[in-house]
Formats: sequence, structure tokens, C-alpha cells
Amino acid sequence: MGKYVVKRVLLLIPTIFIVCAIVFILMRMMPGDAVDIIVVRMRNAGKSVDADQVREMLGLNVPPVIQFFSWFGGVLRFDLGDSFFQADSVSEIIFRQLPISLELGIISLVLANLISIPLGLFCAAKQDSLADYILRIFAVFFMSVPMFWIATLVLFYPAKWWGYAPEVTYYSLFANPIKNMSMFLVPGILGAIGQAGTQLRITRTMVLDTLRQDYIRTAYAKGVKQRDVLFKHAFRNAMIPVITIVGGSIGALVGGNVILENVFNIPGIGQSLVTALGYRDFPLVEGCVLIMSLFVMIVNLIIDLCYKWIDPRVSFD
Amino acid sequence: MQFWKDLFKKKTLCGICFIFLILILFVGIFADVLAPSKMVNGILESSLLDRMKPPGTAGHILGTDSSGTDLLSYMIYGARTSVILCVCCTILSTLISLVLGILSAVLAGTFDLIVQRIVDAFGCIPQMLLLLLLMAMMGNGIPQMVIALAVPAGIGGSRMVRSAAFSVKDSGYCKNSDLLGGGFIWKSVKHVLPNITPLVIISAAGQLGGVVMMEASMNFLGYGVAPGTPSWGYLITNQGRDHMFDAPWLCLVPGIAITLLTFCSCMFGDGVRDILDPRLKGGVGSYNSKKLKKVLAKLSAKEEKSGEAA
Repeated sequence: MGKYVVKRVLLLIPTIFIVCAIVFILMRMMPGDAVDIIVVRMRNAGKSVDADQVREMLGLNVPPVIQFFSWFGGVLRFDLGDSFFQADSVSEIIFRQLPISLELGIISLVLANLISIPLGLFCAAKQDSLADYILRIFAVFFMSVPMFWIATLVLFYPAKWWGYAPEVTYYSLFANPIKNMSMFLVPGILGAIGQAGTQLRITRTMVLDTLRQDYIRTAYAKGVKQRDVLFKHAFRNAMIPVITIVGGSIGALVGGNVILENVFNIPGIGQSLVTALGYRDFPLVEGCVLIMSLFVMIVNLIIDLCYKWIDPRVSFD
Repeated sequence: MQFWKDLFKKKTLCGICFIFLILILFVGIFADVLAPSKMVNGILESSLLDRMKPPGTAGHILGTDSSGTDLLSYMIYGARTSVILCVCCTILSTLISLVLGILSAVLAGTFDLIVQRIVDAFGCIPQMLLLLLLMAMMGNGIPQMVIALAVPAGIGGSRMVRSAAFSVKDSGYCKNSDLLGGGFIWKSVKHVLPNITPLVIISAAGQLGGVVMMEASMNFLGYGVAPGTPSWGYLITNQGRDHMFDAPWLCLVPGIAITLLTFCSCMFGDGVRDILDPRLKGGVGSYNSKKLKKVLAKLSAKEEKSGEAA
């Protein structure tokens, strides 16, 4: 077990390197850069600056390969560089915004699981019944609604009809828990429903798949009650692929958060990523993408380690 | 043939969704004929006199937008954009995943190791962020959108193709092909490819739905089709959101269209998987206590009958 964990963590390093390289290459191939924007801004403010001077100040004058390795060296020392436009370093900005994005993500994930797993089990137990069909059609429907569209509708129409509008000013959870929750609840639910649709279908398929195994037939033949077969024999075995899918959907959740944060004005990483991308603020964009990718990697690692706990047959050696 | 029979008989809803998809495809292809107002030099005909007409106005069934463009025509041309994106993305991403996956499996060794590390890394970057970076790099437009959507999806899908191809590669006929002197291209095309086709079709059908949705989301973030290209997502972002109260149809109609198209694609993809996936076919069937009791009742009735006859 210990050996396996060490091996997996060490394997993360080449993956991080490749992710860094991909992000870096994509960023440097973008048209336009921060230097032009800074020069224009300074000129509008009445100061004349030399573009080369700005470039040197931002460290963009050296060849890209050297830029990459100095940045990657910094990443290994947990130093993500300085933002081109903001006074704080990238690490400080991310450290400030990560909890906000995490809160939204966790609310969505918990809600999605609370909705999808019981309903998925129910659908599998009542396979091909009317309730099963209706729930599945709703699941696909919720997966198909574009999130930014429904979010905009939720933001505007309740305000017109019932005089209700979700909070769009951010308060910290500890400073003002009620306002914080009233801000996060609506985007959390919106993030959860699409996710829940996907998970419901997968839970159902996997439980059904397990229900076709021989040991389930044996259990029925022994005279075990359906409830016990479902929960004790089928559910636990069906959970492995379901958890894999939950892990795989973390990426989609992070992506969905980018949209929700922009609609509901939540000052998380997604919002600052989109803004920074517009300004070509290379270190900030690279930092944000790297942190989100790292988050996905770590969640996947934890999930792989969870297999052993769920399924005793799995061995890592 | 059996496939189509199954699709319409066993999965009626999927059949309906399939018909709807075909309809959208035809609307996209014959947009020039179907649309009430025509596209002139890449711009839809419009008249400022008809600004913001509500749905049901004579000549404008779905109303008009803030520059007097007929919404129905806009939606029809938008369907063309969606169709182009869906078809091109699915084909391109399937090709990429096939080439990468089969090469990885058949060549194996160092090539496989390197490619899999890169595929892993791509898998770690959330799709939305990768799309944002790619679109920011290439600029707005339909071809750029196709590449940005298809490349990450293709790279992600290659993993599934690889694992399927691996299991085929180790089977007896592939080894015999090796012994008979078949090269790796011969082996890939003649032996591996036909055996993983159902899987590839399933994954391609499953991808259809995501494309329209992603395109709309990217439009919302400002990295979508080029301005002026009729697109449902673009309409919501640039007109619908500004006129939520005075012209709600500008937001509702394209949103419903996107939802419907995605819904139908998902349902169709699902149906295709249910029919083609060998793992879901046949087997011992599903058991629950009710069914089992019915079967038992039948059996005992039969036994009684045969007993009486004897």
C-alpha cells in the first residue's frame, strides 16, 4: 500500500510537467500580450513607456524555453510567479480565491450525490417502470439544459415575478454565514442538477449490471429480501464504477464553476481566470489552470486509493 | 437493419429523437430554402422597421430581434452552424482517438508510454479550461471551434479505443496475422478496427450532445463563433440577456432549441449504446423478486399441468 502511494505520487510529477508544458505553450502561442495592454494604458494615463522596458520588467525578454524552465522551477518550489496586473503574487490570489471555488464545488458535489445515488438505486430497483422512465428522462433533460442559460433565467425572472434575487455580493462564510449561503445555494443547486443527471444514469446502469451477476441470483435463490440484496450485495459492488465517474466528473464540475462564477459574480478562480485570459496575464492564467488540474489529479489519486477500502478484492501489489 | 428495428421498436423515444436529429440535419442543409428571410453576403436580411416584434406577428412567426432580423430565419441558420459543429467535431475527434488509440495499442512499448503520459496530462486539465485556452489562442470562428472541441475530446477518447484495441490485439487471429507476416497497418485496419467499431460508434453517438452545449457555453464566455455568424448560443449571450424583460423570446427560443437538440442527441446516444453494447445485451437478464416469483409461478403451473397429463 505504502509503496503504491509513493509510486502514484511520483508519477504525478511527469504529469504535472506535461500539464505545465501544454498550458505554457498554449499561452505563448496566443496573439497579443500583456505588454501591449500595459503600454496603451500608460499612454492613456499620460506616461510614455518603452515596450522593451516593460517586456524586460515582466521577464518576457528572455527566450520562451528559459521562461518555461524558470517558471516550472518556481512551480516545484510552490512559487507561481507574480501577476502582471495585480499587486499580489499568483499564489496569494489563488490562496484567496480557492476556498470560494471549493465551497461552490463541494456544495454542488454533495447535492448531486444526495440526489443521484438514492434515485439511481430506486430506478434500478424499479427497472422499466413508469417512475424509472420519468426519472431517466428528467435526468437527461437536466443534463441537456445549458447551465449559463438556466442560470441567467434564474437570476432575472424570479426577480421580476416574485421579487426574489439571489445574493450577488460575496461575504465570507465565517463573517456572514447566512448571506454567504444565500449566495451559494442557487449556483450550487444549478451546478448539482446537471451533475446529478449524469450520476443517476451511471448509478442505475451499474447497479443493473451488478444485479445480473451470478451471486445476486444466488442471493435471491437463498431467499434474501430484495432490500438486502440491493443494499448489501448490489450497491457496494456498483459503487466502484460510480465513484470513478464522480472522480472523472470533477473536471466538468470545475469547468461548470467557471460559468457559474461568471454569472453569479462569485469571486472564485474561474472568474479571475476568464478575466486574466482577456488581459493575457500569463502567470495568473497558468497558475489557475495548473491549480485546477492539480486538484483533479489529487481527487483522482484519492479515488484510486479508495478502491481498496470499498472493494477488498482490489490489491495494489 | 436489426439495429433500426430495435431503435424504433424497443426504444421508441430514442427513435423519435433520432427523427428529430435528422430533421435538424435537413433544416441545416436546406437553410437557404427554408428560411423566410435570406442570407445576403453572409448577413441575414433585416429591416429596422420590424425591430422587436413579438412572436406571432404576420411574417415573423417567432418575432424579430433588436436589429429587425426574423428570429425563425436566424434559428434556421443557427441550426446549420450547430449541425456543422456537431458533424465535424464528432468525425474529427473520432478520427483522432482512433489513430492515437490504435497506434498506442498496436505499437505498444515506448511510444505507448509517452502517448499515454500526454493523454493523462490532457485528461487532468478540465475540458472547459482547455477549450478556453485553445479558443483564446486561435480566435473566434467555426473552424477554430471545431478544432478546439475535437482535439481534447479525441485525445480523451483515445484511452477507451486503446484499451479496446489491446484486448483485440492479444487475440488469436491477430497473432496469426503476425505469423503470416502482416504489417502493423494491415493488422490495425483489417483486424483491430472492425472489432472495435461498435465501441467507436457508441462513443461518437454519445459525444454529439456535448458539442452544442459547449459551443453555447463558450459563446457565453466570449470565445465562440465569429460575430455575425448565426448561432443559438451567440443569440442568447448577445441579445437574449440584454432583453430578458422586454423581449423574452430572444432568450427563451434559442435556449429551448439548444436544450431540445442536446436532449435528443443524448437520448439517441443512449439508445445506440443500449442496442450495440455487447455488455448490456442478453446475459442472464435482470432479476428481481417479482420477476422471479412470476417465473416460478409459471414453472409450477407447467409442472402441475404435466403432472395432470401424466
